[in-house]
Amino acid sequence: MEILERISYYILPLILLIVALIILFGKKDYFDSFLRGAKNGAVSAVNLLPTLCALIVGVSMLTASGAGELLSQLVSPFFDKIGVPKELFPLILTRPISGSASLATFGELLSQNGADSFPALCASLIMASSDTFVYVICVYFSQVGIKKTRHALPVAIFVSCLSILLSCILCRIFY
Amino acid sequence: MLGKSFSFLCIISLLATFLTKNEKALADSIFGGAAKSVTVVISILGLMTLWNGILEVLKDAGVIEKLSKLLRPILKHIFPRAFKENTATEEITACVSANILGLSNATTPLALLAIGKMNEGRKSDKATNDMITLAILGCACFNIIPTTVIAMRVSQGASITYELLVPVWICSFVCMTVGIILCRLIGKICGDT
Repeated sequence: MEILERISYYILPLILLIVALIILFGKKDYFDSFLRGAKNGAVSAVNLLPTLCALIVGVSMLTASGAGELLSQLVSPFFDKIGVPKELFPLILTRPISGSASLATFGELLSQNGADSFPALCASLIMASSDTFVYVICVYFSQVGIKKTRHALPVAIFVSCLSILLSCILCRIFY
Repeated sequence: MLGKSFSFLCIISLLATFLTKNEKALADSIFGGAAKSVTVVISILGLMTLWNGILEVLKDAGVIEKLSKLLRPILKHIFPRAFKENTATEEITACVSANILGLSNATTPLALLAIGKMNEGRKSDKATNDMITLAILGCACFNIIPTTVIAMRVSQGASITYELLVPVWICSFVCMTVGIILCRLIGKICGDT
């Protein structure tokens, strides 16, 4: 485990080293590519703002009004049984539907509980290991005119539940 | 979808306030939330800029193409029909590589291209097994470096940042493997369209 953890520190610096070598010895001007990509990244991050603004206002209102607490209380007996902290409930609701909505709830969760708290760690694992399956299945298939998605949705739901449970178990083991 | 989510959030919050009497907190949270959205964007802005620049260099220098080639022998077993008929194989490998690198902006167009190619010449409105497997990979895929999550954690003052990578690797790998195995099993049992 310790070796893996060591490796994890080196991943980003190593990728940067590869990029640096490409820029130094490449035949083309690869720093140009870097600037172009970086600009696109900056633009797409800023483009998130309008959606995030609306959704974070909504999520903040939900927390401030006490509705989030009420809803969490409602599911907490069930969540306790399967070992999932009840604070994750808003994230579990939004994660399948939209990337920006789940980013909004994730940010709220981090600032409410502290980034190193147990629920925040579980939430980070969930965010990193599962994606917006409702959105993915809707968009992927509807664009090409496929109406019968067969076992896509059941498998996606199963995998998402697995990612939630596994995230909580892994956090218990690691931290 | 998002509009409805926003409306629901507002209405539920207002109704809950009548019960909990948190009027002041509710009113404050509107300003606080709007301000916080800027903080969130700023906290991921730097890393997203850097990461997209890095990936553009890797793409232009052909590194991502090499990664795709490395993945081909594995993907052959995951998408048997597409590789047997040699349709959309390049799109599939590109899409899976993008997923692994966490290029969420690039995966959707690549996946649409791949599914569109797999659907060419078919008249049925049922998804094929390979299309479903690709969609499942879009829902849960092995993730080398979850840049957005780390950026958010760093900006919120977390002390556990890169240490998170090992559990992320384990979790995302297990979820992906289970998803693929389930898809192949169900595909075997139910046949293909």
